[in-house]
Amino acid sequence: MPPKRTREHLSRQVNDATSLVHAPELLEKRTQIHLDQLEKSNYNESASLAVGEDDDEPAVGKYNGKGRARQTLISDKINVKLAGNSPAATKKKSTMNIRSALLYRKNLATLIEESGIASLPPSAPSYLTAVASPPKYPPRLICSVCGYWGEYKCRKCAMPYCDLNCEGIHIETRCERRVL
Amino acid sequence: MPKTNVVVLDNGAGTIKAGIVPNDSTEEQSVKLVPNAIVRSKGDKATYFGHQIANCKDYSSLHYRLPFEKGFIVDWDAQKAIWDGIFSQEALGVDSTESSLILTEPYFNLPNIQEIYDQFVFEEYEFSSYHRCTPASLIPHGKLLGSPPPECMLVVDSGFSFTHVIPLINGNIVWSSIRRLDVGGKLLTNHLKELVSFRQWNMMEETYIMNHVKETCCYVSTDFKKDLESTRPIVQKYILPDMSTSRKGRLLRPRETIMDSEQVLLMKNERFSVPEIIFRLNQSGLPSAIAESIASLLEDIQPMFWENISLIGGNTKFPGFRERLFAELRFLAPMDCEVGIYESDDPVTEAYSSAKEFATKPEFHGHCLTRAEYLECGSSGARRKFRDWKTKIPSKETTMKDDGPQVQNASQRPRVRPRGVLLEGRGR
Repeated sequence: MPPKRTREHLSRQVNDATSLVHAPELLEKRTQIHLDQLEKSNYNESASLAVGEDDDEPAVGKYNGKGRARQTLISDKINVKLAGNSPAATKKKSTMNIRSALLYRKNLATLIEESGIASLPPSAPSYLTAVASPPKYPPRLICSVCGYWGEYKCRKCAMPYCDLNCEGIHIETRCERRVL
Repeated sequence: MPKTNVVVLDNGAGTIKAGIVPNDSTEEQSVKLVPNAIVRSKGDKATYFGHQIANCKDYSSLHYRLPFEKGFIVDWDAQKAIWDGIFSQEALGVDSTESSLILTEPYFNLPNIQEIYDQFVFEEYEFSSYHRCTPASLIPHGKLLGSPPPECMLVVDSGFSFTHVIPLINGNIVWSSIRRLDVGGKLLTNHLKELVSFRQWNMMEETYIMNHVKETCCYVSTDFKKDLESTRPIVQKYILPDMSTSRKGRLLRPRETIMDSEQVLLMKNERFSVPEIIFRLNQSGLPSAIAESIASLLEDIQPMFWENISLIGGNTKFPGFRERLFAELRFLAPMDCEVGIYESDDPVTEAYSSAKEFATKPEFHGHCLTRAEYLECGSSGARRKFRDWKTKIPSKETTMKDDGPQVQNASQRPRVRPRGVLLEGRGR
């Protein structure tokens, strides 16, 4: 009898959802996504729409390898007087370099690729190598609802909380029921 | 013959600090702080460029367009519009064709972006000459660490986009020892927006207002545990601005009562848990980044760096920043090293003031690239003239030890007592 019971007890434990352990890489990835979201300039929109830019319409038939050109420039809309006779001050046509810099916006990832710093020898310092090293201590968990110490973690999505009240609020509002 | 003006443009991602260096014929003007953004106000139904933002009446739900992304210029259209505004009669009123320029760039600026800086300065604005450098390389010229500045110093620059730890030897940056944390004012404001939006009012679109709340209410606590467990005396109430009566947002003063029409933000642990991110983040925190940076230098000169740490950048203005940093560094530094932290009177404009000092020195013009040189050899002239991280790329093998210049024993030279606050301590 005793050996049989032990085996049943063991098999029940394996199926128990409460003993789910979240992989640290997943948690790390989720934090990274959250940090990237915190870099946004405006809450409500995608990066392409912005002040002064028209709605998305790719320049049909004009694809030239640089990507979509802007239709209008916001720097044309500012009405200020500059002294002197530089192209910025007068309405003279700007040089080719300036015009292409104004018309094509590249995001940072593209610029980093184009700069070729990834292919430098490892001893050369660059933007990519200058990051401070990862922490030696584990992260201090703060309750995601009220900000006190987060001593317990949600079973489904691993967000920390501090007590039963906060757990209730978390499950009703923010729990995604999965880590990512 | 009138001397050419020197225009200083400390081109930050959050704020541009702009001004003209006074010479004999012009008088001193104060520095202009221009937000580096184009905003659209839904209430005013108008778009404001840079310096015009001061004219905006309705700050709620301002839509921001920033030329900078993660600390580098990606949107040149927006940047040009803001620069046009700064150079125009509405702000500085300077004739760029008759002026020299000092322009700051981010640390480890990408070479393709650097070329565009050169193009705008010489082909669009046609400045007669210019010097492009990082803000930290200007600090030795200023008064923050005394005159002459110490041979070994460490600059902590915590701004809008990120925070860097920059060691300098004899005024030159040691590029291989720089460490970067991707925490800046922008991330802190957005984090505060999230916390407040979840717990009280939805402020996700109110970047301008939350930025002001952050600057008014937040501080760095010296003992996080103690502060978190005793929130009673820490609660502050911030009265939100009222757009219809154009009242600005402000703190509730003691013994003042709240009127019914006012909306109030309750600031509790957010006050200190938001700036705490600088000190404890996923990637290290600031104190360990400083320790790491110093540890990567020659052992003999490390104590000199611990003694000469200076703070610049808007984020260092949080009350309690210096004390907290000192406490953490005292713990990390070797027992026989003094820890000295210098804080300027105005961390935001410190690089600007140092640039002004630099511009008045006779050797300044030797460091400038003239328009004639640029038109002849393009950006390679800039690469030769401006010392930056690319000059350290080895094609021959150079290690850190052979690299920097010889360092004298500092006690052999007299030093004027520096301005700024000094904190010292000796571990026993």
